[in-house]
Amino acid sequence: MLHRAKAPLLLALLGLSACEGSIGDPEGTLSPPPGPAVADPGRVTIHRLNRAEYNNTVRDLLGTTTSPADDFPADDHSYGFDNIADALTISPTQLELYARAAEALADEALSIPSASESQLYEGETLTSPVGAVSGSAWNLWSNGELPLQVDLPMDGAYRVSTLVWGDQAGPDPVRMSINLGGVSLGQWDVTATAASPQLVEVESPFSAGAKVIGVEFLNDYYDDVTTADRNLYVDWIRLEGPLDAPLENPIRDALLVCDPVAEGEPCVHEILATFTSRAWRRPVSDAELAPLLDLVKLAESQGDPTEVGLEVALGAALLSPHFLFRVELDADPASATPHVLSGYELASRLSYFLWSSMPDEALFAAAASGKLDTLEGIREEATRMLVDPKSDALVDNFAGQWLYTRALGDHTPDYAVFPAWDDTLRDAMEAEARGVFAEFLRGERPVTEMLTANFTYLNDRLAQHYGLPLPGSDELVRVELPADSLRGGLLTQGSLLTVTSYPRRTSPVKRGKWVLMQLLCSEPDPPPPGVEGLDETAISAGSLREILEAHRADPVCASCHDTMDGIGLALENYDGAGAFRADENGALIDASGAFPSGETFVGAKELAAVLKSDPRLFACTADKLMTYALGRAPGPTDASYLTAITEDASAAGGSLTELILGIVTSEPFRQRRGEPASEGGAP
Amino acid sequence: MSRRSVSRRLFLGGAGAVVALPFFESLAGKSVRADDTVPKRLITFYVPCGIHMAAWTPATEGSAYAMTPILASLEPLRQKLLVLTGLANVPAIPDVVGDHASGTGSFLTCRHVKKTEGADIQNGISVDQLAAATLGKDTRIASLQLGIDGGGSVGDCDSGYSCAYVRNISWASETQPLPKTVNPLVVYDLLFQGLDPAATEEEKARRKLYKTSVLDYVLSDAKSLQNKLGTSDRAKLDEYMTGVSELEKRLALGQGAACTPIAEPPPVLDYPSTVDVMNDLMVLALQCDVTRVISFMLGNAGSSRSYEFIGVGGAHHELSHHKGLPENLAALQAIDTWEVERFASLLTKLDAVKEGSGTLLDNTLVYFSSEIEDGDSHSHYNMPVLLAGNAGAVFNSGRHVVLPGSPPLANLFTSMLGALGVETATFGDDGTGPLVGI
Repeated sequence: MLHRAKAPLLLALLGLSACEGSIGDPEGTLSPPPGPAVADPGRVTIHRLNRAEYNNTVRDLLGTTTSPADDFPADDHSYGFDNIADALTISPTQLELYARAAEALADEALSIPSASESQLYEGETLTSPVGAVSGSAWNLWSNGELPLQVDLPMDGAYRVSTLVWGDQAGPDPVRMSINLGGVSLGQWDVTATAASPQLVEVESPFSAGAKVIGVEFLNDYYDDVTTADRNLYVDWIRLEGPLDAPLENPIRDALLVCDPVAEGEPCVHEILATFTSRAWRRPVSDAELAPLLDLVKLAESQGDPTEVGLEVALGAALLSPHFLFRVELDADPASATPHVLSGYELASRLSYFLWSSMPDEALFAAAASGKLDTLEGIREEATRMLVDPKSDALVDNFAGQWLYTRALGDHTPDYAVFPAWDDTLRDAMEAEARGVFAEFLRGERPVTEMLTANFTYLNDRLAQHYGLPLPGSDELVRVELPADSLRGGLLTQGSLLTVTSYPRRTSPVKRGKWVLMQLLCSEPDPPPPGVEGLDETAISAGSLREILEAHRADPVCASCHDTMDGIGLALENYDGAGAFRADENGALIDASGAFPSGETFVGAKELAAVLKSDPRLFACTADKLMTYALGRAPGPTDASYLTAITEDASAAGGSLTELILGIVTSEPFRQRRGEPASEGGAP
Repeated sequence: MSRRSVSRRLFLGGAGAVVALPFFESLAGKSVRADDTVPKRLITFYVPCGIHMAAWTPATEGSAYAMTPILASLEPLRQKLLVLTGLANVPAIPDVVGDHASGTGSFLTCRHVKKTEGADIQNGISVDQLAAATLGKDTRIASLQLGIDGGGSVGDCDSGYSCAYVRNISWASETQPLPKTVNPLVVYDLLFQGLDPAATEEEKARRKLYKTSVLDYVLSDAKSLQNKLGTSDRAKLDEYMTGVSELEKRLALGQGAACTPIAEPPPVLDYPSTVDVMNDLMVLALQCDVTRVISFMLGNAGSSRSYEFIGVGGAHHELSHHKGLPENLAALQAIDTWEVERFASLLTKLDAVKEGSGTLLDNTLVYFSSEIEDGDSHSHYNMPVLLAGNAGAVFNSGRHVVLPGSPPLANLFTSMLGALGVETATFGDDGTGPLVGI
């Protein structure tokens, strides 16, 4: 009981009413009453590409392997996802980063492959604080470096070679190092003398930019008595590279559909028309192309070659709002009358839902041919797209946020409590969650079976963590689980169990809340005013179960915590890093849970069976998918559509694929409307 | 245009040509300006999860106060510091719960943010943005938003409050948060963008012409698109066009005052090093007069970071619900002390830059606070507030001031704006005028 202030009786009464729709209540339904009499597909605010979408789009548009959006500011998320159009804003700094990314992408796209180059620098032309010119070489007469300043055009592997010899004296041969920025790339004994110099060379990856390469003398020696003197002579230093320079630029080859130098303006027009219509994901008119052609002419008028102008124009197309936003137009932006999206607009909805990227050529063709005007055509394209590996974007971006897998990267179990935790284990857990979801995404299994699946993906490390037989592989492999296994189903996945824990211990409340929010869409109300929520830190005395029970003795808390705790306590056999445990601090764990309705269960598997039979599970999955698919808040007008989608998909077997096909053929996905002035002008 | 091929360096701009110097070495003691027109600056420094106040608040008032354990690292700077006790940010109190989100949303706005996860976020313009509207006129970047934590996490951000309130403290308008840049390399390149010593004047002029022409083009493109859109869409395009205009200004102003470049930060840094590098970059940005207004978040609201590197395991947020347990309070004190040490380090670096007859710190206001007072109480009264620097000797520094009657934090902001030359009658929801007593 951790009320920070008074919790008056009145508030207690308010609190009591907050969580009535509890699990096990057969009347409890997700959907409010059916939608309004006039169908309303809703409207989506103009949609800025988020970071994942930007990276994927430039990958598919150009073929680049860079990920420029990694440096953009994080996208804010709403309703559990980071692709909600209303929450995606643009700041001046972000625009500056867009401009730089556009310039860099255009530069990369048109760069001419260059072969490796070799440059030789004579020792006598260089200078150092140590030594002096000696004939055609530099004589390092005491310990020190002969530096060479270079500016490397690009990242890559380079070879540094140098021709050297020594005045040999004392017990050891001359010892030298080749340095990059003061850091040694290697050391060598130089046994040669002036009569036959010695070649020393080293290869190393260098990054582009200004660099100091140095040849350093390491073991100066001078004997006052005999005047024996050890010195290092550097005849020359040669730099070759990049040794792995690309010999071709496929991005450039794909972009230059004709020869702009030989063929002139018609070719420039063709290049820009082809590129821009793909970048903007729709046909582009000559009137729209004209200002881009003007940019090319501007560069030419400045004496620059046509290609420089093309680069400027490509950069401009990539900074245009038509690229950075997914534009959907209404004939009358102020009319609430629904209308069907254009084929190209729908193609982008499909591709950004299923791939988090732009349409491919087949989808553009479907948009152009009118195929996307029919429900059958849409189903066909979506089915094709789900099979494509690009639909892994649904694993990364939908499931990663729905199932909280993405949170794994930010979560750090306390080393003192979970010494076994490391990145290898974390990666295996993430891969397990991804593998299971991907199988449900592409198979015909009912999505609700994710709760009770009798298989998972394991490698030796994860199997060991789980206490299961080792599959004999460092890579994750699919493993069938026996009926009496302690694992099986979403609720026993290490990823979920870990991210819903605190760094030092489990949180039945967090786990219960996750189930309610993400699987049943029945988010408990926040605690009433003046109530801070349960503080679980005081576990020094008594078990967590006892503390939670004491907390629920207060009816204000019980109204919600009966449900949350009842779910979370059934998962107590899995610790804060997802490992199984029969007891905690010497006391046997009681994994029994109950719903306020009186329904009881023991452990994860019985809980999963109860949840699987709850009609809200399937409806909630549809709700989350719909929110993600549209990139907008779920609204009351969506309810009747969702009901129809879930009923149809359920009748067709209840797979994720059926849900997705139901969504993409629904009116909210295929239609939009304008925004009457009465709606006020959010944001 | 360069014909160089693919590398990350290209995306980041021409900064690769800067010859590497040991980081920060060349900064101390260099003066930016020889003339007397020393600009005034503002830095706001946010730390998450409140402060363990018993080890923060000095026992006595006035100039002879003894430094407390958490404030100890500020001892050498005490003459340039105001410790302010008793300020309240009442608008930050949430509707029900969600103090971290509402307190962070309100951190620089003193507005009661609207509880929503959706499109209808509503806050107010933040004090740094009001300052930037004046101080940022002549600098290439009007204001910088920096931080350590990006987005990352999933789920609801705080009890039904949008993540916008949790991750941002700078607000350009009631509805537009300004997201922060968290990668020191990107910050470095924003500061030194376009610096290419190898380019001739003619080349530079041509590049500028092309960049300007591209911005002109996309601006007119956006305008014609906007005419076809509904209200909500037009608001998004407004943000886009504001960004383009700002970029045109940055381009026109060029590089800003000459200053000594420092080595670019390494690409991968741990948390404490990132904070140190961000401190260096803040000093550099002001010293070079690239910007005069910076907001910095040491973590996002209600941060769950673990401070194992100072021997404190467990999540900061979880620990901050300390329940008065001695071990939790000790952990919090260690974290808070570390945070104030980073702040002190920033002040020391600012104070090492000579400027006019004083130092950069003397011409800067540096504000430090958290989204709540204490992690257990979640109070928005008795806020932990430090004000360092002086924006030209406006305040009577070197004191611990206990302000009676819980005056609004908004009034301090009005006073700070006044000191920066930005006159406002009141600020926020509950401001009544300048703060009396400082």
